[in-house]
Amino acid sequence: MRVRSREYSQEAARILEEQPEVRTAVTAATRTFDEHRANAYGEIDADAWRHWAQGVKSHVLTHLDSYLAQAEERLTHNGAKVHWADTTEDALSILGSIVESEGIDRVVKGKSMLTEELGVNSFLEGRGVHVRETDLGEYIIQLLGEAPSHIVAPAIHRSVDDIRALFHQELGTARDAEPDALAASARAALRGDFLAADMGISGGNFLVAETGTLALIENEGNIRLSTSAPRVHVAFVGIEKLLPRWDDLSGFLQLTSRAATGQPIGVFVSLIQGPRCGDDIDGPDVVHVILVDNGRTRLLADEQMWEALRCVRCGACLNICPVFRQTGGHPYGWVYSGPIGSILAPALIGLHEALPLPFASSLCGACVDVCPVGIPIPDLLLEWRKRAVDSGETSRGERLAMSAFTAVAERSGVYERGASLLRGLPLQAARRTLPMLKDWEGARTFLTPSPKPFRTLWKEGIE
Amino acid sequence: MSARDRILERVRAALSGRPPIDHPGPFAGWRPDPPSTDPVSAFIHGFEQAGGEAVRLASQQEATSWLATFAASYKSAAVGATVPAALRPQLPDAPPERAPLGVSMARGAAAETGSLILDSRDGRMIQLLPPTHVVFVPAPLIVSTLTEALNQVAHELPSALGLHSGPSKSADIGQVLVKGVHGPGRVLAAILEYWSEETDHE
Repeated sequence: MRVRSREYSQEAARILEEQPEVRTAVTAATRTFDEHRANAYGEIDADAWRHWAQGVKSHVLTHLDSYLAQAEERLTHNGAKVHWADTTEDALSILGSIVESEGIDRVVKGKSMLTEELGVNSFLEGRGVHVRETDLGEYIIQLLGEAPSHIVAPAIHRSVDDIRALFHQELGTARDAEPDALAASARAALRGDFLAADMGISGGNFLVAETGTLALIENEGNIRLSTSAPRVHVAFVGIEKLLPRWDDLSGFLQLTSRAATGQPIGVFVSLIQGPRCGDDIDGPDVVHVILVDNGRTRLLADEQMWEALRCVRCGACLNICPVFRQTGGHPYGWVYSGPIGSILAPALIGLHEALPLPFASSLCGACVDVCPVGIPIPDLLLEWRKRAVDSGETSRGERLAMSAFTAVAERSGVYERGASLLRGLPLQAARRTLPMLKDWEGARTFLTPSPKPFRTLWKEGIE
Repeated sequence: MSARDRILERVRAALSGRPPIDHPGPFAGWRPDPPSTDPVSAFIHGFEQAGGEAVRLASQQEATSWLATFAASYKSAAVGATVPAALRPQLPDAPPERAPLGVSMARGAAAETGSLILDSRDGRMIQLLPPTHVVFVPAPLIVSTLTEALNQVAHELPSALGLHSGPSKSADIGQVLVKGVHGPGRVLAAILEYWSEETDHE
């Protein structure tokens, strides 16, 4: 996927101005998700669950080499084929050779952010393979030629009317069809794709090292079908997705579902050990699991950022984020959006490419309150900002202003005199001419300095 | 050096000097008010909350007659390989992609999530393609927590398990909830209350 993160500010502004309905749709949907999440957290001792989950993920990550080896051993024992991919190119080349050797023409896909990261669809289409996204939201955006705007709900930015118009054109549904009828026609269209496909592609929510179990959570049943109907199943799994033990599944399946949508559990969970065997009457003949690094070991080596690898992609931090709610995920310009995306993007595609994202946050900290695995999101965003400054990625004007401010703020006397000087300036008059003040005033009420500085008030004794 | 070795090498290098963190121990499902009802009632509550239907069948006779009545409105069915003969509807067999009704046998159920645990050996497409899905579940295999339910099957894992917790649903069209998107839009848990170790094998 093409990275457009550097255009974040312009793109966010464009959406707010030209497509105000996106803000309405995204705000409504994320509020609903977050309300459901809050209710679902309220039914459990959420802090205990989250503390536990954070502990398990941190444990896995600090023992990742042995768990990866164990997962490979178990999967192989179960009859699955395990592949390892350093980079996007490697992952795609592995997929390409499977497509070739198995003679694949038609692929159905379950929702997977990693396959978005790798650009699986365009790779396959480039080889003349027919690819069909089967999650209803993914299907909608595939027909529209768009990227997902949310980790869990990819078509969150589209209204019922948008989808009515799209399906009328693509599937011949009535112009005023209700969502039930729209879904039914998509179901009918996709049913043919499931039955005709010779390969199903999925991601993986978790991979249990102890049993070699690939766990997938969903609500529609399309992932179960994609991993059951075609004769070949290929799963792309980030190396951070491991869980140590079968016993850990229960907590993670439930907590991820509660965090994502507020459900006690997703309607369908697939727990896949390997290909069809023994007494099975159906299921894929071959299961390939492709373990993907693509920058994750670099993230693991980072003394601060490694904690972001605990992420289970529930989307809770997107749903509660006051910044994400204004635009949805598109302006973030890469596959992972919202608060967690603003941490992952600089780590996986480089700080220069992802630059404005760590700044696209008010650092209000709502995200850390809902994260099921305790990722210190605001701390990590601040750390990226600090690194951006240290590596000279921020603007020269800002750096000069900040070093001037530091010089002043470090000297009490200078600061005091400076402040009283500033107080005497005709800021009201300058507001339309000074460039920074003009920008500030564009979106905010003008600030009038108080007659007495805070330090004087403090000395006089504030009640 | 293979990609495998390179990745593992990078992981080890990344972790060198990083203090290892211990596993926090078993997940205990901490809740302020643990449910007090019996697992079967709690399961029915959870399953219905998610939009599923449930029926309690007190005897083999009751099961047979309920099934006969229920199946009467269907023309054919796809029936799972492990469904006992007494619980197979008197309907012509149809392949899952054409059958209006799928009938499966669960390996257990979890009350706290309202989840039926389905086994690939029973037939995966039967569990997914027909628009209506009837799942028989022996009452003694319905346990309170998902952890217990998964433990119950851990000793012998098939190629795939499916946890089904209600009908297929989606809110991807403008956040409006629709049912039966890809999987079954109607799912019934038929609870076999008379089931015991002896009736297990007919």
